[in-house]
Amino acid sequence: MEQRTNSPYPKVDRPTLAIVGVLLILSCAMFFASDRAHDWRYYQASFKQQIAAKFGADRARQVPSGIQQFWVADLRRADRCVTCHQATSWKGFENGEEPYRTHPAEPLKLHPVEKFGCTSCHGGQGWAVDVADAHGEVAHWEEPLLSRSLGEDYSLQTNRGALIQMNCNLCHRYDKETKGADAINLAKRLVEEKGCRACHTINDRGGHIGPDLTRVGEKAPEQYDYTRLSGQRTAFAWHVAHFKDPRALSGDTVMPNFNFTTEQAQALAMLVLSWRRVDIPASYLAGAPHTDTPSPEQAAAEERMRTGPGGWFVQTGCFVCHSISVLGVKSPAQIGPDLSNAVEDVQSRFGRTIDDFLRDPTGTMSVVLSRQIVLTPEQKAVAIEKLREAFAEYQKQKAQSAKGKRP
Amino acid sequence: MRSLSKLLASDTPSAPGVRPTALWSLRPKSDREAGDAVTSNFLLHWFPAKVTRASMAWNYSFWLGTASAALFLLTILSGLPLLLLYVPSVERAYQSVKDIEYVITFGRWLRGVHRIAAHLMVVVVALHLVRVFLTGAYKNGIGRNQQRQWNWVIGVAMLLLTLLLSFTGYLLPWDQLAFWAVTVGTNIASSIPAIGPSVRELLIGGRAIEQATLIRFYVLHIVFLPGALGVLFAYHMWRVRKDGGLARADRAEVAPVARVVAPSPTKTYTLLGVARGTSPAVTARSLEAPEASVNAVPDLARRALIVTLATIAVVSLLAVVIRSPLEEPANALVTPNPAKAPWYFLWLQEIVTDTTIHTRWFTISGAFLGGVVLPGLIVACLTVWPWFDRSAAAVTGEWFARSRRTQNLVFLLVLLAIVVLTYIGMELRGPYWQFYWPWQAWPSVPGRI
Repeated sequence: MEQRTNSPYPKVDRPTLAIVGVLLILSCAMFFASDRAHDWRYYQASFKQQIAAKFGADRARQVPSGIQQFWVADLRRADRCVTCHQATSWKGFENGEEPYRTHPAEPLKLHPVEKFGCTSCHGGQGWAVDVADAHGEVAHWEEPLLSRSLGEDYSLQTNRGALIQMNCNLCHRYDKETKGADAINLAKRLVEEKGCRACHTINDRGGHIGPDLTRVGEKAPEQYDYTRLSGQRTAFAWHVAHFKDPRALSGDTVMPNFNFTTEQAQALAMLVLSWRRVDIPASYLAGAPHTDTPSPEQAAAEERMRTGPGGWFVQTGCFVCHSISVLGVKSPAQIGPDLSNAVEDVQSRFGRTIDDFLRDPTGTMSVVLSRQIVLTPEQKAVAIEKLREAFAEYQKQKAQSAKGKRP
Repeated sequence: MRSLSKLLASDTPSAPGVRPTALWSLRPKSDREAGDAVTSNFLLHWFPAKVTRASMAWNYSFWLGTASAALFLLTILSGLPLLLLYVPSVERAYQSVKDIEYVITFGRWLRGVHRIAAHLMVVVVALHLVRVFLTGAYKNGIGRNQQRQWNWVIGVAMLLLTLLLSFTGYLLPWDQLAFWAVTVGTNIASSIPAIGPSVRELLIGGRAIEQATLIRFYVLHIVFLPGALGVLFAYHMWRVRKDGGLARADRAEVAPVARVVAPSPTKTYTLLGVARGTSPAVTARSLEAPEASVNAVPDLARRALIVTLATIAVVSLLAVVIRSPLEEPANALVTPNPAKAPWYFLWLQEIVTDTTIHTRWFTISGAFLGGVVLPGLIVACLTVWPWFDRSAAAVTGEWFARSRRTQNLVFLLVLLAIVVLTYIGMELRGPYWQFYWPWQAWPSVPGRI
C-alpha cells in the first residue's frame, strides 16, 4: 500500500463546488432569459394574432418575426422601429392604436421609408428595441420621439403633434412654406413680420446686435442658463419662456418683448431648435431650396430704406428700435419712439437739446450707445444733422396736412 | 480514466525497479499518483505536488490572487467576442456598442461581464495587494534563495497594468463618459512640468482626443497591455513556486513538531555514504508531513476551481442585473457637468481639486501635485517597501504581526484616505465639483426637448 495523505477538505469542498455549479447554471439561465425578455416578442406575437383574426392564418404567416430594421446606409441609420410597429406597412390599421397603426401614405410618397428611415422624421432611438429606449425617453438620449404625448407634456397649442415639424425643417429650413408644417410656417412668417433679422443673422443674412441664430439649435442643453426658468429644464422650454419674455430669462438682454402668444412662442421655439447643421447627402435635398433669399418685394423695400433719405439710420442700426417715418424708415421692433420729431420730442421728454442728449445720453439710450451702437463724435454730429433734416421734413409734412385740412 | 490507467498498467511489462506508467488522475489513490497528476497535466503543472494546510485556509489569503486571475481570464474570454463586434473608429465605435447593447445575441451580457469583471479586477487586485502587505507576505522567510520582494514589485506592476487596462477600455465606447474621463485623465498627465504636454501628446496621439487616441488606446487595450499582464502573471506564479508557495508556509510553527519519520520500504537511505540501509531513525521537521499538508490534486485544484467558477458565476449574475452605461456620443464641444475620471482615479481628481488654490494674486494648480507627484510617490514607496521593512523573518505571512504594527497602521490610514476620497469623488461631487451630501439632490440635468 502506497502512502496516501488524508485530506479533511473534500467533505466541505465538494458540496461547495456543487453549490457553485448550481449558481453557475442559474446565472446561465438568467442571462439567457434576460436576452430573450424583450417587449417586441410580445408585440410581434400579438400582431400575428390580430392578422390571423383579421385576414386569416395564411396572411399571418407572412408577418416577419425577429428584429426588423430599415438600414439607411446614406444616413447611417438603423431604424428598428418596425420590429414592434409592424402594422405601418399593412392596410387596414388606419385607426389602430399604436404600435399597430398604418402609416399615413401621403408623407411616405416623397419620403420613402427605405431612403429616410423612421427616426429622420420622428426622432427616437432607432438602434434600440425596447419601448422606453426606442422612444428615447431615457437618460443620455437627446433626440426623443417627437410624439403627441411629448407635445401634451408641453401643452402645445392648436396641434399637439406639431413637434415632429422640427425635423421637417432640418431639410426644409430654406422653404418659405412647407406643406404640413403649420407651426413652422407660422414661425417663419413671424420671423419676417417682426423683423428678427434687424438684430439677428438667420440663414447667414441679417444684423449683428443679437447672436447669430443660423445654428442656434446646436447649442447643447447644458449651455443654457436655467436659473430663472421654472418648470421643465429643457432647451425647448427655455426658448418658449424666452420668446414670451426675454428679459425674464436673461436680465441684461436688449431683446424687446414682442408679446407673443403661447402658440407663437412654441412655434418659434420649434423653429430655432431646428436650425442646426445636419449631415445629409445632397441628393436628399433635391426638392428643397438651398438658400434663403428675400422675395423681390422684400429686397426692393429693404433697398429703398437703405438708400433712401433715412439710409444712414438703417446702416447705423437705429432703425432696429426707431422708425423715422418721414424719411421712409420703418422699424421692425418699434420699441423706441419715432425719431421724425426727435428734435422737439427730446426737449419735451428730457428737458435737454438733442445735441446735449446725444453727447451724454441717459436711460436706455446710455446703454445702447455705450454697448450696441457706439458712435464717434463725428457720427453723432451727422446724426444730429440728419435728425434736424427729418424734423424739417416733419414740420413740412405737418404744415401740409394742416393746410390740407383747413380749406 | 482509472480503467484506462489500469489497462496501460497491465500492458506494461513489470521489471524490478520499473514502475508501470500510469496516467494521471483527479482522484489519486496515492500520493505518488497525486504527484503524477501535477507533473503530467499542462493546466496543473504550476501546482506543487503538496501544499500546506495553512496555505489552503480561506481566511489567510482569501484566495484573492486566484480570483484576480479568474477575473483576468473572464475579461479575455468576454473580450474575444467583443473584438469581432466592436469597431475602433470614431464614426462607428458608438454605433457598434449600441448594436452590442441592443441587438447582438447576449451582447449586453457580454459587455456587462467584460465591464464588471474589469472593475472587479481593479478592486480584487488592489485587495490582493492589501492582503500581501498586511500579512508581510513580500518578506523572505525561512526558505533558501527566496526573492519575494521581487514578486511584490511584479505585483505592483501588475496592479498598474490592471488600472491601465481598465482606463484604456474606458475610452472605447466613444461616448461622453468615455471621452471626458479620458480628457480628465490625460490632462493630469500634461501637468508634469516641462514634459507634460509632450507626455499627453504621446498618450493621445495628437493634441486632441480623436481617432489617433482611439486606435492607440484600442491596440494597447487588446494587445500590449493584456500581453504584458499575461507575461507578468506567468512570472508572478513562477516566482510564487520558486519562493516556496504562500508566505505562510514559511512560518516555523506550521511545521509539526519533529517526529520520527517512518522509513519507507521502497527507499534506500544512505548516511554520508557510510551507513546504508532501509530503516534509519531520522528525526525531522517536514512541511510535507501528512498532518500539515495535503495533495495539490485534488484539494488545491478543487479549491482553485471553486474560486474561479464562483467568480464567473458572480460576475455573470451581476452582468444580468447591472446595465452598462452608454451616454451621449462623444462631443468635444459639450462638457458634461461634472466631468469625472474613472472611479479608481477619482481620489486623485479629488486631491487635484483640493490642492488647486486660487487667490487674488496667484493660482496653484493641484494637477501636478495630486495627479503626478502624490501617486508617483505612493507607487514608488510601495515598490521599494520590502527593502525598508526590517521586521523579523518569523512574522512572514502573519496577519497584523505585532512587530509590523506601525507600518500596517500607516498603510491602512493611507488606504482609508484613498477610499474616503474615492467615495467623495464618486458620490458627493456634483456639478462644478460642488459638494453635495447624500441627502441633497443634484440639480437636474437639462435635456434638449
